[in-house]
Amino acid sequence: MIRAHDVTFAYAARLPGEHPQPVLTGCSLELGSGRALAVMGPTGAGKSTLSYVLAGLAPRHTGGTLSGTISIAGRDLHDGPPEIGSVGLLFQDAATQLFTTTVEDEVAWGLEAMGLAPEEIGRRVEASLTHFELTTVRHRAPWALSGGQQKRLALAALWAMRPGVLLLDEPLGGLDPEGCAEVLAAVDSLREAGTTLLIMTLHPETAHQAGTVALLADGQVSPAMPWKALAKQETALIQTGLLLPRRLWPDLGPRGGDGNAPAIEIKDVHFGYPGEAEVLHGIDLTVRTGQFVALVGRNGAGKSTLVRHLNGLLRPRSGTVSILGQPLAGRAAGTIARQVGFLFQRPEQQLFSPTVRDEIAYGPMRLGLNDVQARVDGVLERFGLQDVADVPPALLGYGAQRTVTLAVLAALATPIVVLDEPTVGLDGRGLAQLLAWLAERREQGVTIVLVTHDLDLAACADRAITLDAGAVIADGPPAAVIGGCA
Amino acid sequence: MTVTFDTYVPGSSLLHRLDPRVKLWATLLGLMAAFMLPGLGAQALFLAGIHLLLVAAGIPWRRLGNLWRQMAILVILILILQPFLRPVGREVFTLGPLQLTVGGMLDALRLALRALAIAFVVAALLYTTSQPALVSAMVRLGLPYPWGLTVSLALRFLPAIQDLYHTVRDAQAARGWVAEGPLFRRLKEHLPVLVAVMIGTLRMSDQLTLALAARGLETTRQRTTWRALRMERRDWGIALAATLAFCLFAWWQFAN
Repeated sequence: MIRAHDVTFAYAARLPGEHPQPVLTGCSLELGSGRALAVMGPTGAGKSTLSYVLAGLAPRHTGGTLSGTISIAGRDLHDGPPEIGSVGLLFQDAATQLFTTTVEDEVAWGLEAMGLAPEEIGRRVEASLTHFELTTVRHRAPWALSGGQQKRLALAALWAMRPGVLLLDEPLGGLDPEGCAEVLAAVDSLREAGTTLLIMTLHPETAHQAGTVALLADGQVSPAMPWKALAKQETALIQTGLLLPRRLWPDLGPRGGDGNAPAIEIKDVHFGYPGEAEVLHGIDLTVRTGQFVALVGRNGAGKSTLVRHLNGLLRPRSGTVSILGQPLAGRAAGTIARQVGFLFQRPEQQLFSPTVRDEIAYGPMRLGLNDVQARVDGVLERFGLQDVADVPPALLGYGAQRTVTLAVLAALATPIVVLDEPTVGLDGRGLAQLLAWLAERREQGVTIVLVTHDLDLAACADRAITLDAGAVIADGPPAAVIGGCA
Repeated sequence: MTVTFDTYVPGSSLLHRLDPRVKLWATLLGLMAAFMLPGLGAQALFLAGIHLLLVAAGIPWRRLGNLWRQMAILVILILILQPFLRPVGREVFTLGPLQLTVGGMLDALRLALRALAIAFVVAALLYTTSQPALVSAMVRLGLPYPWGLTVSLALRFLPAIQDLYHTVRDAQAARGWVAEGPLFRRLKEHLPVLVAVMIGTLRMSDQLTLALAARGLETTRQRTTWRALRMERRDWGIALAATLAFCLFAWWQFAN
């Protein structure tokens, strides 16, 4: 069903005078009809590129140069892109591949492009919505759905076209545990229905799903092997930067700090977006200086909304937030940045400077800190960014962008740091970098508030707090809190 | 907070269920009528009629109030400025070159009512017609499919771009950005935000290109339409009634 031989692909140079960037170098891959294979590779290994190449999108729509032979779903790609509907590609970012205004129109779009008769389209839309359990949201706008629903909708739209081959690029990326379970069940059902599946992922749990795994590293795909055989080669997985087993984590362990002065005091905070219903219902919390607090709870529980109150990006409808003894009311978010550093999700959307150096210097300069140059140099070195210091951050790969966002936070050296889902989409190497930095912060007595779905990470904290439907429902030592809710 | 560009108020009234092509046609007639209405009384009646229509279609008063508020500035500007631009009729007072007249004031009132009538006629279309329906009506009326797709993509991605803008602004605020100082400096501070939004938008459009291609935008096959618009007898009836009413009104207007 998929046969790729000696495939080499390079993107065009990013900047004039630079060399083209090779991603795949002599990649070979074979997958029989009705089989499933996971291609595992760390961030930047070329997983998305491989899926674009196989789907016939690269280099046609991306630019770059391709050599080698590929045949997929009975078509030699030398002769043109695959027949419409024969190869389905689930993009990593589900939201950008949904482009119509209602769920059912989304499923119908590809069928209309195939030129099917209206009755047949109706039948397939129904079948697809039912199969992926989307009938109740059929009239909703795709972008108003949860992450798990968006992925299922994208799958439903592909599946309706009856593809012989489905390429899934990081199908669980950016999902909460609930969304992961939903999508895993959907992928499982596709597998049982005999669809040929190629899954690109950096997560062992996802790869496990396929049963058979190949590694993508240094531009090449290893021979496929059963999952169990690969799981035994832990050292290799650690070396490629895919894995960081729990036992190799730096010590983030509990340090107490119960008697310290309060760093964050939240008193009876109520919040709702203007003109909408309340989403936080009277939150009371005190975080002591030097404490490491993990905030857990399902999607939509109000975790991100709550932490955005800590640096003044959101203001309570009623109640007060104080940082280091000072109430935030009346202070601009920009002035709170001196005390509270914030790491957002989606790094690619928050880098705006012409070079990495400027990006890191932005915060210290805005805050009028006096040793900007030294700070920037120190941080560039600490995160190994010297080589890209003069490159626009927007042109860096995803992994490097994540590093830059961490460096940006480090340069501010705030006594409190707030991290919103910092481990999502990180490979082993990225995780090691994040944890090492967090361990340093711990050493220096920095107060850490961390929103996460990763219960292993939450277990390292001094204290875990579970939020549900805008209220604190559990607060205490992680073992008690997480043990209680998992 | 995302402002969505969708003004549609879901419902199942007759106005909601009417074929969007008929609604486009009726809107066109309504707009022409708004321009042709002779006197203040007729204009007020027309405006009241559209209000009745909207309320009967289940549009909440709150929405109508919002539209009044949005139109308020324009209406007030017209009422204040227009009388001095065209002074006719009996004079009320003169202040230097400015002359306020009764005719001028009536003129301003007429113009303001016309602006309101236009706004509410368009609202009657947008409040009761979903965007996909509107786009498919335009495609069926001869707009080439790629244009229709472009319109719906714009409607889909404008809120996403707006979100992106807020994300970048938040990221800057979290790193010490404060809106202060003279206007020019504030604008300059805004530049990086716009650059970041532009880069983000380009990235999004790259992804979109791939997504569209992956689902067969470029296929040479003839596209079909799942839910073809079909004119029911009721649709024809209303289209005919609206046309007749307009002709009658126009005839009466010119005959007098």
